[in-house]
This record gives sequence, structure tokens and C-alpha cells, in this order.
Amino acid sequence: MTGPGANAAARSPGGAALLDEFSYDDDVVRKFLFASVAWGIVGMLVGLVIALQMADPRFNFGLPFTSFGRLRPLHTNAVIFAFAGNAFFTGCYYSTQRLVKARMFSDALSRIHFWGWQLIIVAAALTLPFGYTQAKEYAELEWPIDIAIAVVWVVFAVNFIGTLVKRRERHLYVALWFYLASIVTVALLHIFNNLSMPAGWLKSYSIYAGVQDAFMQWWYGHNAVAFFLTTPFLGLMYYFMPKAAEGPVFSYRLSILHFWSLVFLYIWAGPHHLHYTALPEWASTVGMLFSVMLWAPSWGGMINGLLTLRGGWAKVVDDPILKFFVVGITAYGMSTFEGPMLSIKSVNALAHYTDWIIAHVHTGALGWNGFLAAGMVYWLLPRLFQAPLYSKRLAELHFWIATFGILLYVVAIYSAGVTQGLMWRAFDETGRLSYPDFVETVARLVPMYWTRVLGGSLYLAGMLVFMYNIVMTWRRRPAVYEVPVVRAAPLARAAAPEPEDGHRLGGVFPLRLHRTWERMPVTFTVLVLVAVVVASLFEVIPTFLIKSNVPTIASVKPYTPLELYGRDMYIREGCFNCHSQMVRPLRYETERYGEYSKPGESVYEHPFLWGSRRIGPDLAREGGKYPNLWHVRHFANPRELAAKSIMPGYAQFATNAIDWEVIPGRIRAMAMIGVPYGPAVTDAVPMARRQAALIAADIEKAGGPGGLADREVVAIVAYLQRLGQDIRGTAAAAATPAGAAGAGAPAGGATPAGATPAGATTPAPARGGR
Amino acid sequence: MTEPAKHDRLMEHEYDGIAEYDNPMPGWWVFTFWLTIVFAVAYALNIGGIGTGDGRVAEYEKDMAAFRAANSAPSAGTSAEALLAIAGDREKREEGREVFTRTCAACHAADGGGIIGPNLTDDNWLHGGRIDQINATIANGVLAKGMPAWGKILKPKEVDEVTAYVWSLRGTRPARPKPPEGELVAR
Repeated sequence: MTGPGANAAARSPGGAALLDEFSYDDDVVRKFLFASVAWGIVGMLVGLVIALQMADPRFNFGLPFTSFGRLRPLHTNAVIFAFAGNAFFTGCYYSTQRLVKARMFSDALSRIHFWGWQLIIVAAALTLPFGYTQAKEYAELEWPIDIAIAVVWVVFAVNFIGTLVKRRERHLYVALWFYLASIVTVALLHIFNNLSMPAGWLKSYSIYAGVQDAFMQWWYGHNAVAFFLTTPFLGLMYYFMPKAAEGPVFSYRLSILHFWSLVFLYIWAGPHHLHYTALPEWASTVGMLFSVMLWAPSWGGMINGLLTLRGGWAKVVDDPILKFFVVGITAYGMSTFEGPMLSIKSVNALAHYTDWIIAHVHTGALGWNGFLAAGMVYWLLPRLFQAPLYSKRLAELHFWIATFGILLYVVAIYSAGVTQGLMWRAFDETGRLSYPDFVETVARLVPMYWTRVLGGSLYLAGMLVFMYNIVMTWRRRPAVYEVPVVRAAPLARAAAPEPEDGHRLGGVFPLRLHRTWERMPVTFTVLVLVAVVVASLFEVIPTFLIKSNVPTIASVKPYTPLELYGRDMYIREGCFNCHSQMVRPLRYETERYGEYSKPGESVYEHPFLWGSRRIGPDLAREGGKYPNLWHVRHFANPRELAAKSIMPGYAQFATNAIDWEVIPGRIRAMAMIGVPYGPAVTDAVPMARRQAALIAADIEKAGGPGGLADREVVAIVAYLQRLGQDIRGTAAAAATPAGAAGAGAPAGGATPAGATPAGATTPAPARGGR
Repeated sequence: MTEPAKHDRLMEHEYDGIAEYDNPMPGWWVFTFWLTIVFAVAYALNIGGIGTGDGRVAEYEKDMAAFRAANSAPSAGTSAEALLAIAGDREKREEGREVFTRTCAACHAADGGGIIGPNLTDDNWLHGGRIDQINATIANGVLAKGMPAWGKILKPKEVDEVTAYVWSLRGTRPARPKPPEGELVAR
């Protein structure tokens, strides 16, 4: 399978010409190619299922492992890391070897990378549907898998940089800069966002809490978009676009400037995901401004891609590969204009928590990543399988149905996002919310959700046509692949310095200097690393060190053991995928949900559960809003209490037994990362049992079912009834108009030491008082 | 295949057959880049009406103050006489029934027999059985018991109509009545 891998120095009989003879490892490229498309189909199929679930909740099938909250992370992980990841590796392994005229550093490392990555994906598919998750978006996988990802990524990095070191081409081409930046930065992001305290083999708590955890997560989350879905694909574009267009790249200077500005600016942008949240405002402002400045650097890539086609536009008409590239790059241009726009606070206030963001990412994912991958694969097929493409007409068909599918998808979901955002903020003439019942704002979107199902189905149909075309081309392959022998001269140890050609970038920066860096892969790597690390530290250090960023609130206490168990259920079921816990300081938010969320409320939130999308209402102030029995019935069948609700049912909560055994270990893990648990560390189970008995008794007394004291439902009810209670003990309670809420439920009652979960049995004031 | 423009000059290098032009960066692109940088600086320094101003919390407080100034405190509840008049109006009771089905039936059952919330068809009342007391309970809620303040969600007219409908439920025979709670109140 490897062919003549070893490099043999071929010397002419006279010993004068010194050409190395070697071959490229295309076997691993073929493997990655199949993996990408196969996982892509799986990931998009899961996407279609969750799209159906939003149109009609019956598609949750009443099973825990097929409910939306568990499948949504499977969809995102599969399309990002399995589909786009393997697509990047396909193109990276193919192009790198040719761009540096060397076989990969190690065939063994290439295969460890391939099989390791596929095993990680299988591990994801075997854990996410069963509720094993860290609850951080695109970083859901639990700690043992995270370690495996880090190991495999290092293998990839060593293999890649090793190949650059033993290269036979003096300078590194721009595609390689992008690959390098992606590889280095993803490692950094992955490791620092996933630091967590294990509480069992498939359970852990983020070592960061609340504001800091939110910051780290979106530093990671946005840069996952940047360095996993953008820079790797720009690298692919720089190789495959000029190859397919058979023309030179438009501008080398533009490549330099947009590469460095993109790498340097992108890393700051993450906090724009947290506008109006409890994150300090300076941080989200910095995130916004760097996002705005990212517009031009992003478009630099688009310009260099599209203008490479100058004079060759006629060719696009009958070349499906160029069609995919042109639409893909255009989608990149649209989403990188939209991104900076969405980062502007006032736009973000409307779009945040809505489907607008979903539409935005799908323009990028389906258009940019999906189409660039498709164009690349069609270009590779005849070369990798050494046979003509099975059907150009099917490739054209793939292009047209997928394009139409994207249009249907995004138009429907943009409409859904704007509609819901406007409904949330609408007030009537009497100063009340026009749509106070949240479910009205969801029911309005159902026709658009069906349109999305149609658009997504078309895109998936395109993928199936794609796979068919690939398999049929593969079947035409020769019995034995020809492995061409390549000859190239090794690099001389010493090279002449770059000639001074007088070229200056922007009239200042000598191109000669950059040409010199391009000769030094290790130096280049260090420069990239410095760019991303310095930018990160500018935001990270103040976020972690400045105390005033998170004013403490004395009444905020850790969760009781039972509440923590309930919170872990909330994480297990992926409730955070649909419910935020972050009320923004905006009048229509506080009117709907209550007092806006304060940074100090999240200090024990490992991980933070602020959420990023409201398919259901915000839950930050849920505690005490409804009686315990309401929640029991609502979990059994949400539609019995809210006819138009699209929430999956969780009837199993009333039958699942609480696993008391796990509680002490979880409390200990939390205590180790700084949550002041005190006596709860040794007395956790009896405390949890006492609280469970109280809630179960209250449910029975209210006319509900009996015998729930050891059932999971009481744990999650305990958790939900706690949400927002602590802050009511102080400022918020004082701000409540006298008599409006009376009752005077003691908010501090739920401290672990006391274990008298007052908030859980006696619902306290429901609203923040405004 | 690309037709090079006149000023296009190829760089000397090529990689695996890929060449690069030494074209200058498009002027409009460079201009856009500078524009965003100038915007960012101006925003960070709050220059010329752009920027964060006093910050999000101050903006919120301002917005709330303006809102309170424009919307005076909600008027006192509708009088008992007016409510009884509404209760006598079949059409309004019917409107009230629709509101009831939408918002109240989940906890009080569609026929008012009670599920989580108490039975509304008997003569016992937890928070007062006069029509104006029922109206106030609906409008202000009993938060400690999980009854939301519907006055924040429903329009005043709807609160009154649903009061009228609840008033009309008394003495009806629900399918599965919850046992009486609260004080016996003669009408």
C-alpha cells in the first residue's frame, strides 16, 4: 500500500547530477477522501433528523439517545471534525507533498493520524448520544477523547512539520502557511479550552467557571471556526483553485497581508459571541472591533481566489469544479461580511440566540466548506483513482441541487431568525410584550423549519449523488495504482540570501524579508505562534486577573448535591442546546424573564451554561416560576402544558433511578476546582436524599404521583427550582416592589451546609420585580 | 488560460506548477481595511457618536427610566360591578373561555376541575371568592404557589374576560374534580 517510499538518491554514473528519487503517498489521501464524504453524509443525515425535530417534535422518537439535545452536538461534531476535518487532511496530504517535493515525513505517522482520527469520530458517535458531554459547544467530547485528539493532532503536526523540514523546495507556498497556522493554533485552542477536572471516566467539570469559562469557550469556539473551517480551507483554495483554473494566483502581496492580518486579528474576535452577557463589556467590545477589522483580511482571500479566474470565467460554464469553487468562495465572502456585521452590538442584540446565527454558519459550512471540499474532491478523483471521472453530468447535478438546497435552507432560516428576534422585542401600545408567551415565537417558525428540511434534504441528496460518483469512479481504478517516481534535487545546506528586488509591501515592509521567512519553516511556525499567543494573552490575562470583572455576590452559594446531580442531568440531556441561562440587560429581556444576569451569579458554574440559542425560553430565572408538579408533568409531556411546544418529552425522568453513588465523587471534583462545599463533601448522599424526599413529598401533596424520592425527576426539578434564586436574596429582592411577591422565600436556604432546600419546595418570587 | 493584464508581472517562483502574480493589492480593499481600523479606534475611544457610550448597563437603566416615564403605573383592578357586567355578557365569557383554554387549562384542567392548581368549580377559595378578588389573583398571581401573574402576560381586557369565565364555572360539574381547598365562600 505504500509504494516505494524510501527516498533514493539517484546519481548519474558520473556522480554529477544529484537528484533524489521518491514518490508521493496518495494512499492516505484516498483514505481521507472516502472518510470525509462518508462522515459528511452521516453528519448531514443527523442534521436532517434534528431539523425535522424542530419542525415536529415527534421526530425525537421518544428515546433519550435520539432527542434533539443529544443529537445536535453529534451533528456539529460530525460535520466540523469528521467531514470538514477529513476534507482538510485529504487536501493537505495531497498538496503538501507536491508543494515541498517530498513524501510525508513518516508513512506510519500518516496512518496513525488517519486511523486515530476515525477512532475519535467513532468514540464521539458512541458517547454523545448517550449523554457524555462537557457541555461546551464543539468541545463536547469528554476528557479521555480530548486527550486522544491532542495526541493525534500532535502526530499530525510532527508529520507535517517534519515534511516541511525535509522538503526539496526552498520556499513555503502560501497554502502551507495556512496549513501551518491551522495546525499550531488548533492545538493551542483545543488544549486550553478543554482543561477539566475528571469526576469519572466519562465525566468532568471545566476548571474554569462562569465568566472565565464563557470567555475561554468562545475564544475556542470562534477560533474553531477560524482555524478549523477557515484557514485550512483557504490553504486548500490556494492550491486547488489555481490548479483547477490553470492560472497564476492573483496577488502574492495580498496573500502575505491577508494571511498575517487574518491570523493576528481572528484570535481576538471570540468575545463577540457574548455581547450583553455577564462578560465584562470591554472584552466583548474588543471582540467586536477585531471582528470588524477582520472584514478586509477575510475578503483578501476571496479576492485572491476569485481573481485567479480572471479571463477564464467562460470556463466556469462547463466545469463543475470551478462552479463549486466560485460559489464556495462567494459564500465565504458573504459569511465573512456577515460575521463582522453580526459582531456589531446592536445587530447582535437582535440576532443573538436566534436562527440568524444558524443561517450564518450554514452559509459558511454548506457553501464554503462543503463546496470547496466538493470541488477539490472532483479535481482529485481522476488523479487519485487514475481513471476518468464517472460522470460529469452527475457532478453538475450535485452542484445544482446542492446550490438550490443552500438557498432554500438559508433563506428560510434567516427569515426564522429575524422573525423570532423581532417577536421577542415587540411591545404593544400598552407597554407589554406583544408575544409574552414564548411558545408563540416558536410556533410562528414552524413553516420555515419545514422549508429548511426541504433545503437540507436537497443538499444531502447532492451528497449521495457525490458519493455515487466517487464510488463509480473508484471502481474504474486500475488493478494496481501506478506510483510515479518523482525526481528533485535536495536542498543545498547553504543558500544564497534573498536578492534585494526593491519590492515593498505598502511601501514599507520589504518582501525580501518575507521571502526569507518562507525559507524557514520552524521560524515561520514560531512567528505564527507568537501572533496568536500574544493576541490571546491580551484578552485572557485581564479576564482572569482583574477582580472587578466579576463582583462577588454574597448570597450566591454552590448547588446542593441533589441540585448538582440535576445540573448534570441538564448537561447530559443537552438542555443548553435550546435553553440559555443568561438574561441580557435589555428591556424586552428583563420584562420577559426578570432581572438581568450578573457575573457574580456564575462563579460556581463549572462549566458555564449560558447557552447560545433559545429554541426554548431562557431559564436563568426559572426557579420558583412554576410548582414542582408543573415540572414533573411538563417533563412527562411538554405539549400537555404548552400545546405548541417543540420540546422533546422526558418521561424517563420519572422512572430512572437516581445514581446516588456518583454524587460524592462529583462533589469532590467540584471541591478540588475551588467550589467551597464544606460539609457536603462528606455528607453528600444523605443531604441529597433529604432534599429529594422533601420535593417528592411536595409533588405528592400537590396531587402528583408518589414514590418519586429516588427518581431522577426530583433532581432536575431541584436544579431548575434553584435557578435564579440566590440573587433574589439580596439586591433583586430589595428591588422587588413591596408586596408584589411577598412570600419571602429564603434564598439562602439552599446552601449545602444547611441542606434545607427552601427554594426547591416553596417556589419563591417568580420574576425579578420589574 | 488566464489572460494577464498589462501590468501583471509573474513572480519568479512557482510551486508544483502554481505561479503567483506580483499584483498590487486592490485600492478599494486597502481603503476598506483602513476604514475598519479607523472605525475601531474611534469606537474604542467613543469619538463622534460611535462607541459604547456609557456602557450597556447605563443604556439599560436609561431605557427603563424612559419606559417608566411613558407608561404610568398600571391602573387599579376593574371594579366588581364592571366585572359582573362582563360576566353577564355571553360573548365576553366566550372570549374568556378561549383565554382559559390557552393559558389556564394546563394547571386547572379544561373544565376547571383542577390539576396542579385548585378546583375552580366548587365553593371553596384560597385567595378570596369575590369576583374582584378572583380578578386580582389572576392579575397578580400567587407566586409562592406557582400561580403566575397573568397581568404581565395577558391584556387587561383578557384578564377581565377570563375572570368572567372563571366566575361562570362555579357550580358546573367537572369530570375529575379536585377536592375543595381553602375557605368556603357563599356567593
